[in-house]
Amino acid sequence: MNTALRTVTGRPLSLTATLVVLAFLVVAALAPLLAHPRPGRDPYLIPTAGFEVEPRPPNGAHPFGTTENQFDLYYGLVWGTRTTFKISLTVIGVSVLVGLVLGSAAGYYGGLIDEVLMRITDIFLAFPGLVLAVVIVAILGKGLDKVVIAIAAVNWPNYARLMRGEILGVKEREFVDAARALGAGNLRVAARHVIPNAIFPFLVFGSLDMGNVVIVSAALSFLGLGTELGYADWGQLIAFSRRWIMGAPGHAFQYWYTIIFPAAAITLFVLAWNILGDALRDVLDPKVRSRVRTKRMPGRV
Amino acid sequence: MSAYLVRRLLLLPVVTVGVTLLVFSLLQALPPASRAMLFVQRPEQATAIQAIIRKYELDKPAYIQYWHWLRGVVHGDLGYSPSARMTVAQAIGAFFPATVELTLCAFVVIILLGVWLGTKAAIHKDGLIDHLSRILSITGYSLPVFVWGVLLLFVFYGQLDWFPPERLSLPASLFVQSGKLRQYTGLLTVDAALNGTWWIFWDAVRHLVLPVATLTYFLAATLVRITRAAMLEVLGQEYVRTARAKGLLEAVVIARHARRNALIPVITLSGSILVGLLGGVVITETIFNFPGVGRWGASAALQLDIPAVAGFALLIAVVTVVANLVVDLLYSYIDPRIRLR
Amino acid sequence: MKSSGRRGFVFFVTLVLALSLVGITTGQSVKNPDTLVIVRIGAPDSLDPGWAYDVYSREPIAFMVYEPLIFYLGGSTSHYIPMLSTNVPSAEDGTISKDLRTYTFHIRKGVKFHDGSTLTPEDVKYSIMRFALVDRDSGGSFVVLTPLIGRDGTRDAQDKLIPTVFDEMDRAIQVKGDDVVFTLKEPYSGFLSIMASFSLVHSKAGVVKARGWDGAKATLARYNNPADPSKMELFEKDAGTGPFRLTSWNRSTNQIVLERWDGYWRAPAKLKQIVFKVAEDFPARRLMLTSGDADIIEVGYADLAALTGAPGVRIVEDVPLLFTQSFFMNMKINAEGNPDIGSGRLDGNGIPPDFFSDIHVRRGIAQAFDYASYWQSAWRSKMTPGNGSVPKGLLGYDARNKWYGTDQTKAIAEFKEAWGGQVWERGFRFTMTYNAGNPHRIIGTRILKENLEALNPKFRVDIRSLPGPSYFPNIAARKGTLYWLGFAADFADPDNFVSAYMHTGTNYAPQYGYSNPTLDKMIEQARTETDVLKRAALYRQIQQIGYDDVPVVYLGYGTTPVAFRSWVRGWYTNPMFSLQWYYYPIYKQ
Repeated sequence: MNTALRTVTGRPLSLTATLVVLAFLVVAALAPLLAHPRPGRDPYLIPTAGFEVEPRPPNGAHPFGTTENQFDLYYGLVWGTRTTFKISLTVIGVSVLVGLVLGSAAGYYGGLIDEVLMRITDIFLAFPGLVLAVVIVAILGKGLDKVVIAIAAVNWPNYARLMRGEILGVKEREFVDAARALGAGNLRVAARHVIPNAIFPFLVFGSLDMGNVVIVSAALSFLGLGTELGYADWGQLIAFSRRWIMGAPGHAFQYWYTIIFPAAAITLFVLAWNILGDALRDVLDPKVRSRVRTKRMPGRV
Repeated sequence: MSAYLVRRLLLLPVVTVGVTLLVFSLLQALPPASRAMLFVQRPEQATAIQAIIRKYELDKPAYIQYWHWLRGVVHGDLGYSPSARMTVAQAIGAFFPATVELTLCAFVVIILLGVWLGTKAAIHKDGLIDHLSRILSITGYSLPVFVWGVLLLFVFYGQLDWFPPERLSLPASLFVQSGKLRQYTGLLTVDAALNGTWWIFWDAVRHLVLPVATLTYFLAATLVRITRAAMLEVLGQEYVRTARAKGLLEAVVIARHARRNALIPVITLSGSILVGLLGGVVITETIFNFPGVGRWGASAALQLDIPAVAGFALLIAVVTVVANLVVDLLYSYIDPRIRLR
Repeated sequence: MKSSGRRGFVFFVTLVLALSLVGITTGQSVKNPDTLVIVRIGAPDSLDPGWAYDVYSREPIAFMVYEPLIFYLGGSTSHYIPMLSTNVPSAEDGTISKDLRTYTFHIRKGVKFHDGSTLTPEDVKYSIMRFALVDRDSGGSFVVLTPLIGRDGTRDAQDKLIPTVFDEMDRAIQVKGDDVVFTLKEPYSGFLSIMASFSLVHSKAGVVKARGWDGAKATLARYNNPADPSKMELFEKDAGTGPFRLTSWNRSTNQIVLERWDGYWRAPAKLKQIVFKVAEDFPARRLMLTSGDADIIEVGYADLAALTGAPGVRIVEDVPLLFTQSFFMNMKINAEGNPDIGSGRLDGNGIPPDFFSDIHVRRGIAQAFDYASYWQSAWRSKMTPGNGSVPKGLLGYDARNKWYGTDQTKAIAEFKEAWGGQVWERGFRFTMTYNAGNPHRIIGTRILKENLEALNPKFRVDIRSLPGPSYFPNIAARKGTLYWLGFAADFADPDNFVSAYMHTGTNYAPQYGYSNPTLDKMIEQARTETDVLKRAALYRQIQQIGYDDVPVVYLGYGTTPVAFRSWVRGWYTNPMFSLQWYYYPIYKQ
């Protein structure tokens, strides 16, 4: 782990990525200081400066300007950082947990359990990520919690599969046999030896997935299936720009701020996590590398 | 035929039934009245809803409902879609050909372009193309697809007027709508070619350019990187070096030895590219006003058109499952090792 | 094969180059000079005049394919010109009887249907009978049934066809020689307006040939209340007399094509073709207009900033509508499984189901709302301030009628009195709803939320958007708390609005738990009152009750922007046109 950390921070690119992720974490943590919420109000609801539809360029009171319907971009991006971490960490947390349990059960016990569990993942993977997410949100309705449920439902099978593969690999190794020879029970062996050894690829996969979750939630927002209007959420902020990306006739860049700021936040976030994930992966052996790579595709939209 | 292939084929119905179970259980989150439209083949009045609920036992345990529903699905009775104003089966018939055309075109372009770029990038490692393809792949996955879609539309339609949205331009669409074009497949390019009406063919192609470009931009990135990695690996291997040493032309080496071996990961990936395409059409078709199932599914989801959403999901899932099977079979044909697994 | 493919490619490249050059150098030349392309947001349910009621279904056919007996004179909603009738009934020449119950139309001779057959008075009677008696659920048949036979539907409470309804209609509409004579149940001054919009004449033979209703009493039950629009005979077929023929409707692209009919009884239209397209996404619609591929696109005020100033595009901002925008306060909320009333008690975390039954709550809300910023933000100040259900442009609207102004102090005073002071002390929390995507309501709900929460930190209002198909049923189930709804005219008469909003017999009033028998009587009286001055006075009184009771806050009377290529000529508008257009006189230059 220590060597891994050194490898990751040792290279300028991955060091930058780490710093960017840390910066986002700081923004999320300090959100109440960076952008003061109005007392007595849900801080996740972006305050508006007036109610006009047409966005207004950056000015003293609104350093990033206001987007469609006068939602303050700066405030939305700052608190949206929290939302982003909330969504992606919950989604990945749930996926990891479910993937860990089901994947290791499948890998460790094999046989019928493996067969059944893997067919279940097959079923979920039969849906392109966005399609399943759209179906779920359409049925459950809009809102942050529903978006999280939808993306988590799409995501967990990848983790289960990954875990199973790792377990299968680790299971064959000598130290597991040794532990078993010493009389350790199945569960104990799994908990003490197999899972800790298999968890590292999870970390890689999870960090590569962080950005993906944001992209999927933005896609849902674009389709009108995201969070409730005005909720501080990057996906919604970038979806607001849809009407304004082309600017006004004769002034293509009139509303540049409606797209540039949310796009910058999302791009930075996605890139940083990808570089971080890549760097982590490089620490691993190359076999894991290609596996992690190819598995990333299905969730993409 | 090996045991692996038999097993793979046997699993197809299992997964398909599983897909219907998953869609069905999601639908259970809705009250019976919202599910009623799944069982009828025409719009119904509000007063008829209770009768439908009774008839299909929508207030009974889930397995009874599932039975009723599955029976319909097997017969192609997927309910009535209020947003399309036709039955779900008719809507699929009306919208799916456009999606097939778009997806196939994009698939071919992605594979060709991805392999070509990946190979170039590997051969000229750290050269211009390598860097370009890297930038392409980074920007491709780090922004939501609709941003690029709208920008492409703005530049290539709004400013240059080269590639318009929709599926056909006005004269061509009037020609097709008047029934003068005999439709064999529903794929406009193919039908136009079969009819020999080349102006329709080129018109259809012109309208495919932007959606295909958007999808390609988004999905080619991974393929480029994988091809590049595989090529680098192969190029470093013994037999390639031997071939080179024998004095074979570089182009021949690459074509005959290196690229062929590097194709294996490409085939593995092609399954997930197809899956990505079928997901990607939801947004792409919406932006370019392309009348396919993706646009229909997206607008149905917004209008709480449950039968459409369920039918759309089932269709896409079944296509994905079948496509993955084909890829697997192809893969095992090319790489015999897999059959032993 | 190969060589033609290559030639095709060369052709393609040339085409692309040529097109880009055209785009750059001569952007102003008229694209598709004989064809008008209209890009709308919605698609029709059916193109059968017996079914069509919503704007997207009516616009392609009403006045274009099927024509009424009389038509609006220019932009007026109260003056008419003859159309398939050669006269506009009037009391002076006796075509309106002295008791104001009988209207006689002289049917025009020599008018040909698109199949070449000749229009007869029998066709006129049949068309109106069919529209009234087919009477599909949530359709427009009540508009004709009400004045003629005093019913708002053809079925009883058990949803069975009323046996006498055919005979009643048969008696009310009679063919006498070349005339068609309508006998109303009671005098009704909105009748001509109803005829101008809803007497769309189609050929009886055409419908019967397509196995439609033969006009007989015995077969009516089979054709009454069809569930499936596509099973109706004229769903995508044509049997009209209008300047354009319906040639095709592609169900997957929803492209509808109309072609000029040269046998039209007036001079043939100038356009050769009209094409209706659908594009839900604004960026696509915008580019289709700026590139000239579309001649007219449907827009809202929210779209204007991104469209204004485009060369060759004309935008007209305040095109009048007959449309009232409002929000409702439900006095008897259905609490069953209702997530929008919080705890359901007046404890600061919810509201009781009868929360809005206290007049002080309603008056407080009416005076807290910042009308001015709503008009400005949602309607670019093109909205006429509201003071009742009757919109500007109709009898009964009076700019001098009273309405509430924005006054925080007064609002606070009202809230302090509400529920014996408990509201002010404990606060409240509820969720108001609107239909997702409606740009005015997105703005209005947020303004109201800010306004109410600014009064007292214990006041909390949440906003929830619902997709249309679940929003309207939610209101119909009386589950709405404070909800946003408007009303657009079916026909140009104040009764249409007043009845819809406040009469117990229609659907709005029961939805918000309002019932005022005195008011019902007044509405019925105003409906049949023939003296214009007396009628106006009655509407003034009715509006006064609307002000005193304030179950509904009238925000204003809407207008709409219209966007089209400046090469589109011959445009004029009337509030009763479905989407602000009448295409017969249009040409491109």
